[in-house]
Amino acid sequence: MERLLIRAQEAAYRFSLLVCGHPEDAEDVMQDALLKTYQHVSQITDPAAFRTWLYTTVRNACLMKRRLHAGEPSHFESIDRGRESADGETTVIDVADSARPADERMMDGWIDRRLRKALHALPPAYRLIIVMREIDGLSTREVATVTGISEANVKQRLHRARVMLRRQLEPS
Amino acid sequence: MKKSSRPECTAMLAGISAYLDGDLAATECAAIEAHCAGCVECASLVEGLRATVGLCRGIAETPLPESVRERARESVRRLLDDAARSASR
Repeated sequence: MERLLIRAQEAAYRFSLLVCGHPEDAEDVMQDALLKTYQHVSQITDPAAFRTWLYTTVRNACLMKRRLHAGEPSHFESIDRGRESADGETTVIDVADSARPADERMMDGWIDRRLRKALHALPPAYRLIIVMREIDGLSTREVATVTGISEANVKQRLHRARVMLRRQLEPS
Repeated sequence: MKKSSRPECTAMLAGISAYLDGDLAATECAAIEAHCAGCVECASLVEGLRATVGLCRGIAETPLPESVRERARESVRRLLDDAARSASR
């Protein structure tokens, strides 16, 4: 039980930090996941179903946080195309990072800053898919269950997300 | 990363993620590999995407900072202690 709860908290923190990008929110989401998992634990009969339940819970908590803080931009620009100026020149979109210096240091020690910025340059719907599939290791079917989209859509978004991420990581 | 406009490259691009995920049949994999052997742009794209996927998967293997893990352990201990105390009352 103790191990399950710790693992659930760590998964919640990693997911929230990578998807929402705010360490303080990730702490709150981690605590929230602990309480909800504790309340849910007696109903767990299938470990696979537990994983999708946990990620659905954490995803919803992240969405709530995002709504509360409105930390995301009000609209997204296509990083496929970059930002086009009046004279037709295209520039790479740089992503603002609002984390505190201590949080920055903590995150830099955990994940390469360039990769973190590249992840946060992805539109949220694509970032979510990359984090769940590539980093947290959920299957296509599990991601489809958590996000409520079809497996074919998950695969399509994953492909686009990989291409966008690769473009972000290319030296400018 | 340049996008190739050649039809055979476009067709290759459509299956590239499935290829990287090991979801393609051996014949389809062989077709992609044969195409990449003769197309520098597509070969570079495949390698680039493979490296990107590898970078992401590397995060999964990196443990969270110890301070975060300690807070997680402490919260769990506190919750279980509180639950045990409530149950004994």
